[in-house]
Amino acid sequence: MIDTDIKKNEIVNLFSKNTDYLISDNEAIELKKFIEKTKLPDSKTEEWKNTSIETLLRHKYKIGNKSVVPDEYINTFSFYGLDTDRIVFVNGFFSPENSTVNQNKGKIIIGSVKEAKKNNFKIFEEYFNKTNLYKNNFFSAINTSFSQDGAFIFVPDNIVFEKPVHIVNFINGNENKVIVQSRNLIIVGKNSQIKIISTYHSISSDFTLNNVGTEIIAKEDSNLEFYIFEGEGNEASHINNTFVHQYKGSRLKTNTATLCGSLVRNELYIDFKDEYCEADLQGIYLPDKEQHIDNFVNIIHSKPHCTSKQLYKGIIDNKAKAVFTGKVFVAPDAQKTNASQSNNNLLLTDNAKVYSRPQLEIYADDVSCAHGSTTGQLDREALFYLKSRGIPEKRAKTMLMTAFVEDVLNKIEIKPYRDYVNYLVNKRLKGQKVEGLCSVKICPNC
Amino acid sequence: MLKIQGLKAEIEGKEILKGINLEIKAGEVHAIMGPNGSGKSTLASILAGREIFNVTAGKVEFKDKNLFDLSPEERSREGLFLAFQYPVEIPGVSITNFMRAALDEHRIHKGQKPMTATGFLKFMKEKKELVEMDTKLEGRAVNEGFSGGEKKKNEIFQMAMLEPDLSILDETDSGLDIDALKVVADGVNKLKTKNNASIVITHYQRLLDYIVPDVVHVLYDGKIVKTGGRELALELEKYGYDKIKKEYEN
Ligand SMILES: Nc1ncnc2c1ncn2[C@@H]1O[C@H](COP(=O)(O)OP(=O)(O)OP(=O)(O)O)[C@@H](O)[C@H]1O
Ligand SMILES: [Mg+2]
Repeated sequence: MIDTDIKKNEIVNLFSKNTDYLISDNEAIELKKFIEKTKLPDSKTEEWKNTSIETLLRHKYKIGNKSVVPDEYINTFSFYGLDTDRIVFVNGFFSPENSTVNQNKGKIIIGSVKEAKKNNFKIFEEYFNKTNLYKNNFFSAINTSFSQDGAFIFVPDNIVFEKPVHIVNFINGNENKVIVQSRNLIIVGKNSQIKIISTYHSISSDFTLNNVGTEIIAKEDSNLEFYIFEGEGNEASHINNTFVHQYKGSRLKTNTATLCGSLVRNELYIDFKDEYCEADLQGIYLPDKEQHIDNFVNIIHSKPHCTSKQLYKGIIDNKAKAVFTGKVFVAPDAQKTNASQSNNNLLLTDNAKVYSRPQLEIYADDVSCAHGSTTGQLDREALFYLKSRGIPEKRAKTMLMTAFVEDVLNKIEIKPYRDYVNYLVNKRLKGQKVEGLCSVKICPNC
Repeated sequence: MLKIQGLKAEIEGKEILKGINLEIKAGEVHAIMGPNGSGKSTLASILAGREIFNVTAGKVEFKDKNLFDLSPEERSREGLFLAFQYPVEIPGVSITNFMRAALDEHRIHKGQKPMTATGFLKFMKEKKELVEMDTKLEGRAVNEGFSGGEKKKNEIFQMAMLEPDLSILDETDSGLDIDALKVVADGVNKLKTKNNASIVITHYQRLLDYIVPDVVHVLYDGKIVKTGGRELALELEKYGYDKIKKEYEN
């Protein structure tokens, strides 16, 4: 058994030498107290009871270094030449050498939070660390306390982005076990529209821990599509806490695709701060071997007339585990709330496991809330039908698996990105190795 | 083409087929009739390779090969085709992709190159016309949301695509209106050559007005209890199975 208190101190102490963090000294003092009294999640922690973090505690980490990556690595993720603005982070540090931003020049700020703090302090101060992210759990707390950089996207009012913005996150252990903490801040102004693709990759297959924190402010009538692609190596642990505040009439769409990783925990909080907001959240997860992928969604309907949709689908192979928790909270005066949730899982073996937990807490009476969760195996009848037409078992299975996740993938609205994810999902389902999946340098044990 | 000898099969310990003998030669059409639950679909499924049934005795030769040595997909590529009594819906798998994959596999098996995308679409269009399939297939998933009749037509369409040597039509006429019945029968007749053969499972002699069988068998209680010419079907239509059942039970 690992002594979690010792482990906790070990991780915290790693960061105490440095001082160059994003939060202010006052905030740091506050957080220090919080971190001291917050335990690492274990099997007794209600929200983590099906997810053990032991795999990531087994290692002694160092802090990841700042570095530049060859452009050809980044080009692996160019989505068939899709024209995007692109900001690149390596081990959580901004890499301007790898980044290009051309759209809406002079009107917007896209780059690094660290730079924003330096050059646009007023904006930084207004929005940074204003959600409850910092006190969500131990990981979000240390992310808040010890993050040095991350992606910063500030879109003022009435700006429409023609091209998506791609945030490329590389983790580079360089044969070391590293811990990386990036902290992203995204502000979408009134009536503004933007599509953001945030992708995570490993450069080599090391034991790494990426602890990501993201805050998103979506203002009145804004429209944000936020895509997350998690393709880090199979030894990589990934903790991702994302907090969104939505204001009146804003529309959000997220799609989280988790294709690899040893232990992945995605938490997504949506807080409707005002009426007529919409959040359409999708996810796809494909754990294999002994991987563990956990998606935790929490939607807070505090105001009336808001709509939330969740569609999460997973295919679980070998001894892998998947967890889905979908919380929907509807406050007493959040009338006319429309919330739907659907989680579907396909288990490929008898040892694969899934824990699916819809949690609806509804205190308003005039609402429409629906949820459904299914877990099953490949349809034997359909499989036989395909085989009876000459299609070999393996190919037939892939066709059925692809079909199973198709509706989630089809909701990705940027076609080249959708095609790319589709391509990798297909490779993944066929068990084929491919550059860009699991690690840039193809890992032998993918 | 097909030679079945002493075939017995069970499911969950219950014997369904109790010794079937049947021989079909190239160019022939055999009809199999028989009351509900007598084992017609079971026989068809076993020939197609459905694993849920347990074959306990007998052998089946298909084009001089031991059928039981072949997987369902190999049987298909060797030229066996089953038009299912209840075609399954497969959401998310488009008919185009499905047929493309099937045809590719058949061609690879024959040592042919896969078709080009345009070549394939043209081929598909021709076959659709041949079986007068007017359902728009583009972008639709296999059988999903198809009407009963459309599902049956889709089976014949697939048969046209794969050009089998032996086709087994399991109640392809059930649920078809008269016009659709003619269309389906026409399709089957157009695909008929002196080198291929068919087994037509049906409850209605009406179908046999269009697809004229060389031989008619009656399957009852897991056995073929009577074999005759076309007239046997007419007789059954008139008198039902009572007479045959009585004969058999004595
Ligand atoms: N999967 C199964 N599990 C258990 N019993 C089965 C299964 N499939 C078929 N049977 C049984 O086998 C017997 C024969 O069924 P089969 O479907 O072959 O009949 P059939 O002659 O095709 O009837 P119908 O004319 O109604 O289509 C029936 O008693 C049926 O209940
Ligand atoms: Mg039947």
